[in-house]
Amino acid sequence: LAAMQVGTAHSDPNPNHVYFNSRGIWATYVIFIFITHFIVLSIPFISMALAWTLTCQIHNVITYFWLHWEKGAPFEPLDQGESRTLTHWEQLDDGVQFTANKKFLLVVPIVIFLLTTFYTRYDQIHFLVNALSLVLLAIVPKLPQLYRVRIFGINKW
Amino acid sequence: MLIFVADADVSWEFSDLIEAIYSAPTYHLVFEGCLILFIVGLLFQHSFLPSKRRGGSGDRLSKAEEDQLIAEWQPEPLVSGDPADEALLASYQRCATSQVGRSVTYSDGRTLVNFATGNFLDFIGEARIRDRALASLRHYGVGSCGPRGFYGTMDVHLHLEEQLAKFYGCEEAVLYSYGFSTIASAIPSYAKRHDIIFADERCCFAIQQGLEASRSKIIRFRHNDTAHLEELLQRQAEHDRRNPKKARVTRKFIVVEGLYVNCGDICPLGELVKLKYKYKVRLFVEESASLGTLGATGRGICEEAGVSVQDVDLIAAGIENALATQGGFVVGTKYVVDHQRLSGLGYCFSASLPPMLAAAASEALTMVDEMRGERTARLKSVSDRLHQRLLAELDNLWSVEGAPMSPIKHLRLHRCTGENSLPALEAACAAAADAGLLLTVARYVAQDLGQPAQPSIRLSVNCNHSDSEIGSLLDFLKSYATGLAKK
Repeated sequence: LAAMQVGTAHSDPNPNHVYFNSRGIWATYVIFIFITHFIVLSIPFISMALAWTLTCQIHNVITYFWLHWEKGAPFEPLDQGESRTLTHWEQLDDGVQFTANKKFLLVVPIVIFLLTTFYTRYDQIHFLVNALSLVLLAIVPKLPQLYRVRIFGINKW
Repeated sequence: MLIFVADADVSWEFSDLIEAIYSAPTYHLVFEGCLILFIVGLLFQHSFLPSKRRGGSGDRLSKAEEDQLIAEWQPEPLVSGDPADEALLASYQRCATSQVGRSVTYSDGRTLVNFATGNFLDFIGEARIRDRALASLRHYGVGSCGPRGFYGTMDVHLHLEEQLAKFYGCEEAVLYSYGFSTIASAIPSYAKRHDIIFADERCCFAIQQGLEASRSKIIRFRHNDTAHLEELLQRQAEHDRRNPKKARVTRKFIVVEGLYVNCGDICPLGELVKLKYKYKVRLFVEESASLGTLGATGRGICEEAGVSVQDVDLIAAGIENALATQGGFVVGTKYVVDHQRLSGLGYCFSASLPPMLAAAASEALTMVDEMRGERTARLKSVSDRLHQRLLAELDNLWSVEGAPMSPIKHLRLHRCTGENSLPALEAACAAAADAGLLLTVARYVAQDLGQPAQPSIRLSVNCNHSDSEIGSLLDFLKSYATGLAKK
């Protein structure tokens, strides 16, 4: 498994580059979203629309922090500190843009958004909230134009 | 407006949801249409690597530039034909048939007094060390055949590490199998990109390789000039005040040697420790030449300068000089040193020290401990005597660089005698061999990153060099330089 090769002699200096190519990672990610959605749906007093909006928001916020806010790696990689200032998105696939993994991670929030708008019966407020979080948190940070860009120096160090 | 609480009025049947699409607002459908087009467009994108991926300044060449460079390229000859190389090549023809101890016998039958190798405490040929090594050889065989993490750890390694830690009064020691790669692995395992290292400009080549491997920003300060270092630290502190977020994640280090091999002088450790605490910088000291030669009992620069060993963050040393075996170690607090068991690349990815040599090092260290500094004191007095005589007798003939009590001294031809060039010094060393003395020119790699020093003859004093041997050295130097000056 490519993932936990830290401290051994192997060719990739940072396991963050390659672990998303592991078998079953995409399915795992989708299953996590389903579990979140079922938990939210199980809360008895919220309506269907709110449940879907909540799932969409929780997904966008958590993936934003996971991919675009936290920098570096939770272990000590062999890249001599190169990934210390890079977010997880910038480390995935060693910086190559538009790989299969990155396309998948871009498509999933959009699909969730489409489902959410369907299930909220195209309500205006829900649309506004979901569209904003989709565009700002999920789509814009993943574009190659924003690769290694830190707006106003936020989160640079 | 859809409210939070589940409402009986609003229907969530699937057919009603489908019907809701027809009554959806236009802007909504337009937005969703754009998103679907985006997905479709995404599926047809090719993957590519952004050219500024490594954060550099776009160091990729265009096709035209590449073609031009290829057209311009001229192959260099394999053998440079540099006359300076001839002396070096000639020295390879010279084969020693005895141990390279205080005196060496060569295949042409000559026995020369050795002023060239770092056998400071005269442990080469010591019977006790040899017997212990042979016993170890019979027990373990020759090599350890594995790195420390893969069956290459034996009890002699652990015993030597404990012994080194106790010798220095530190918590833990890590043993490396090659003195050069000790400091060259220790520095990059702590200092990474975006860190800052303040290094003395006359550091040895092993330290320079470590600095380069660390990918940190290197700031060099003038040799042994603590005022200059303080100025640079001050400048860095002001820079940090302007950018506190960056400063919080930047680690800063000072790297110095205890006894500089390239100069022969001693670092001002007391002042460096004061600067360390004032500016919150980590201090790394490389002690290859000062182990066994400085300090009242041979415990190195900390003992010599009267500084507590807890004030230095990391002491790295090769045991290839005074302890007369192979290898190196790093010693310090457990928190600092233990990190290298996974991050010290020379520790993890090289075969461990052959157990025979670890046993020999252990025996040598025991001897240094038992002698309580007797040989160290003798070495210091011999070096000092040599230094005083060099200054007194060879005043206008040779210039001497190095501290009086340092066993390493650098000799250069005085300008009254002649030009201090590498070929001239090589010729002097060849003449010295005829006079029964083994001298060497200090050799540097061409891409040595520090201040390129003037060529010099590097003298290494042995604690057991007798007065007559020193006398013959001085006689030779005087007569040779006088002969040179007359021409």
